Amino acid sequence: MLLVIIFTIFAAITIISAGMVAFSQNIVYSAFSLLFTFFGIAGLYVLLAADFLAATQLLIYVGGILVLLLFGVMLTHKIQEVNLSNESMRLAPAAIVVLAFLGLLSIAIYRTQWPTVPVPELTPTTARIGTLFMTDYLLPFEIASLVLLTALVGAVFIARGRVKK
Amino acid sequence: MNLNWTAILPEIFITLTALGVLGIDLFYTRYQKDKTLNAIVTLSGMGIAFLLLPFLSAKTQIFTSLFVLDPLAIFFKMVFLISGSMTALISINYLKMEGFDLGEYYGVLLFSILGMMVMASANDFILIYLGLELMTVSFYVLSGFFKTDLRSNEAALKYLILGGFASALFLYGISLLYGVTGSTEISYIAGYLTEQTRTGADSVAGVTSAVLSHPLLSLSLIMLLAGLCFKVAAVPFHMWTPDVYEGAPTSVTAFMSVGPKAAGFVVMLRVLLVALGALEKQWMVILAVISILTMTLGNIVAIAQQNVKRMLAYSSIAHAGYILLGIVASARVLTAGSASVVFYILSYAFMNLGAFTVLLALRKEDKQTGLMVPAMDLEDFSGLSKRDPLTAFLMLIFMFSLTGIPPTAGFVGKFYLFMSAVDANLVWLAVIGVINSAISAYYYLRILVYIYMKEPKVVQSVDNSSSLWVALYVMALATLLIGILPNLLFNVARASVVSLF
Amino acid sequence: MRNFVDQLVNNYEFLETFPRPLLYLIAMVAASAIILGFIAILVMFFVWLERKVAGHMQDRYGPMEVGRHGWLQSIADGIKLFLKEDIIPALADKPLFVIAPIIVFVGAFSAFVVVPFSENLIVADLNIGIFYILAVSSLTVIGIIMAGWSSNNKWALYGAMRSAAQIISYEIPVGIALLAAVLPAGSLSMRDIVLAQSGGFWNWFIFRNPPFGFVACIIYFVAALAEVNRTPFDIPEAESELVAGYHTEYSGMRFAFFFLAEYANMFLVGTIVTTLFLGGWEFPIFPSAFAFLNPIIFVLKGIALVFVMMWLRWTLPRLRVDQLMYVSWKVLLPFAFACLFGVSAWMLLLHSA
Repeated sequence: MLLVIIFTIFAAITIISAGMVAFSQNIVYSAFSLLFTFFGIAGLYVLLAADFLAATQLLIYVGGILVLLLFGVMLTHKIQEVNLSNESMRLAPAAIVVLAFLGLLSIAIYRTQWPTVPVPELTPTTARIGTLFMTDYLLPFEIASLVLLTALVGAVFIARGRVKK
Repeated sequence: MNLNWTAILPEIFITLTALGVLGIDLFYTRYQKDKTLNAIVTLSGMGIAFLLLPFLSAKTQIFTSLFVLDPLAIFFKMVFLISGSMTALISINYLKMEGFDLGEYYGVLLFSILGMMVMASANDFILIYLGLELMTVSFYVLSGFFKTDLRSNEAALKYLILGGFASALFLYGISLLYGVTGSTEISYIAGYLTEQTRTGADSVAGVTSAVLSHPLLSLSLIMLLAGLCFKVAAVPFHMWTPDVYEGAPTSVTAFMSVGPKAAGFVVMLRVLLVALGALEKQWMVILAVISILTMTLGNIVAIAQQNVKRMLAYSSIAHAGYILLGIVASARVLTAGSASVVFYILSYAFMNLGAFTVLLALRKEDKQTGLMVPAMDLEDFSGLSKRDPLTAFLMLIFMFSLTGIPPTAGFVGKFYLFMSAVDANLVWLAVIGVINSAISAYYYLRILVYIYMKEPKVVQSVDNSSSLWVALYVMALATLLIGILPNLLFNVARASVVSLF
Repeated sequence: MRNFVDQLVNNYEFLETFPRPLLYLIAMVAASAIILGFIAILVMFFVWLERKVAGHMQDRYGPMEVGRHGWLQSIADGIKLFLKEDIIPALADKPLFVIAPIIVFVGAFSAFVVVPFSENLIVADLNIGIFYILAVSSLTVIGIIMAGWSSNNKWALYGAMRSAAQIISYEIPVGIALLAAVLPAGSLSMRDIVLAQSGGFWNWFIFRNPPFGFVACIIYFVAALAEVNRTPFDIPEAESELVAGYHTEYSGMRFAFFFLAEYANMFLVGTIVTTLFLGGWEFPIFPSAFAFLNPIIFVLKGIALVFVMMWLRWTLPRLRVDQLMYVSWKVLLPFAFACLFGVSAWMLLLHSA
């Protein structure tokens, strides 16, 4: 029961703030709302007994990605003006698509018999994750690092000034 | 943990070469204008990886079956390495002429090939996704490589935004599939779903298998298909293709129209035929519709194009449609269908790369500045046969092959594809394919009309660097050879897919 | 915390009448409140100390009027800030302007939940302890950007951007340097890390795996200085250029929140260095004999490190922006990586022997 209440709270935080991200007319508000979305998701991870994942979620998404996103927003033109807004266009078709997809998903989720497992014990996961990264999931781990390296090289290449000839 | 390291030796080699190229660029050729050394290292790295492949024991699984090395994977890795090395060869002089001879190009190119190779061997959705990302991230960079060219920037941005969206859909599909089956491993999902089918059939009428009728399963299927169709540029996920192909550097476009497509199809083979084989009734219908739309739209819109690069982009959409037709057929005739798909992908790699290479080699004089600029328009091809009969003849071979006129690879490939459709009792689908080939003849042969039957309108020149011509000869010869002796390759293709089932 | 409550219930029977979860909750809230109060008092002490240190280093006295040697100065300041008019600039973005100091404050204070004042004096001994601190303190950056932008003031915005750029750059050497202490402990839990260093100062991680433990400690300390925007890394608040940085427009209680959070963060850095490298609550020699002093030792070590930070502030000049980035990416980061490799190599060597 307690779990259900906590879950509802975190889920509500996530969904409401995600809605703010999507619907806010002010791009800065959208970016800051994302903070609460990430926070809510971190809470959900804790409920699923994934403590390491929750901290990672905060560290990477709040400490890294959100800050970069805010940098991007702050560097946009005329950010000094407080009543900066991004307009919504073609509301009607978008609403139809979104609602249709929502209906489809709801029906699918409602009619599915989900395989369930008992609530996991809150045991430390860090060591197990580390071991798996170094054994069974070594290859995905290394490939992920190469993806990041490629993105880094590409970003530096694109962002660097003109080549001197 | 006991690991059979040899199975990922080619991948390790490509990674080391890529890091080596970046290192050489940083420490050795940094202040040199000429980056040919980088290209040579890249080519030798790919060559060694290619030579290693046939010596590896097929049917190896490592990392607790995350990574499989079966004949199909080996075949596709060869396709990637061949097309990758062709791309490196044609890039050397092209990059110099365009003033973007930079070391990162080859490093990123190698990483994209690594991503494709991982995709070909992946037996787990996590690894598929990571390979896919490695490949696409590299192509985001490559398509924006001419960073002072606005069109190139536009191409990179469009590809990035739409590609990110497609990746998200694909991931959503994976997570839904994981929710239903409880695993991300392809062979496990396949076993689980077939078992569910069997228990469903055994149970009393009316109580069908609960899992197979999951609406969630269909939803995840649709999302996976959407993500993959984006990568192979199938309608309705093709919108990005013309703009990105047109804006990206031509050498990148050439590779982009071959590599990611082949990688997308090998994942499709594994996901649809193996993992979701139990759902074939569902995906067959969807894919059949997509295939027809893709062929028809690609061919009809290609007719209207005056820009050859754009026309080839639409033609590559149409070819994705033909290949999808083969996948639809392989739902019923497993081996013949998928073998024809594999066969067609290799033939397509040679002929399409060849066509793009001719386009890349041809330059015209800009009337205002007097400089030689890349020739893009149909008009620029007029009278090429008089100025450079050899290039004109090679273009003839590639265009015949793309149309499907014997004795070229394209003809045999299409023959096998349509035959497998007929074998699968999908005659109507084969008929639509043939009609589409006829439509495509119009715009492929129109280029030849310009080349052979019109007078030159602009001052043309053809890149005569030896590296480009080596690649061009290889591709032309391969196109002809496959067309004349198809059985050799078809047997290999057949052997490679047999291991799948 | 649970064990503590269970013990309490066993000893005092009348507590049995209350539901157990409620007791846990009350215990949690009480513990947090105690920590909050304690840190707040400590911070006020630091504010006074900073002014005294600054004064004496510049050959003057510092505050002398309120109380003996001005020891009540901070309380006077607090009262002043508390009674000040709450000003929100007319063109500021009001909701964000109001939330920003709270987020910074929460980020700074919630990290103290896992700080081990002694073996049993921890609010929550999370098994991801040090990682949790890194995660929670990343909230501060968001708060700072929020404050800078919502103030609608170019000095504030410049300060916020500089600060955010600095914090995320230095987060990387911080994380890697900390690993040099986490590796030999084999745990992320703050308590386990201290226990792994027990038995005299020669067991502290700063002296282990020489010289890498020592270098890692220095790297962490330097990078952490940048993370809390202290001199010589204080360009986000460079008074001569930016008025006061991101909190230029703040006054009254809202300003006090930023101020408290800043000093709380300094103490947090002190406690992290203490926990990870300086043996935590242990007395340097014969630790078991001085066990009763543990919490005091811990706090004293933290205060000593905070003193070092103040000392540095009034000694060193400020770095330029390019030098700042150079130090992070080209000096601290490679050395931190070297430390990580060195520590791993030592451990492999000692383990196999």
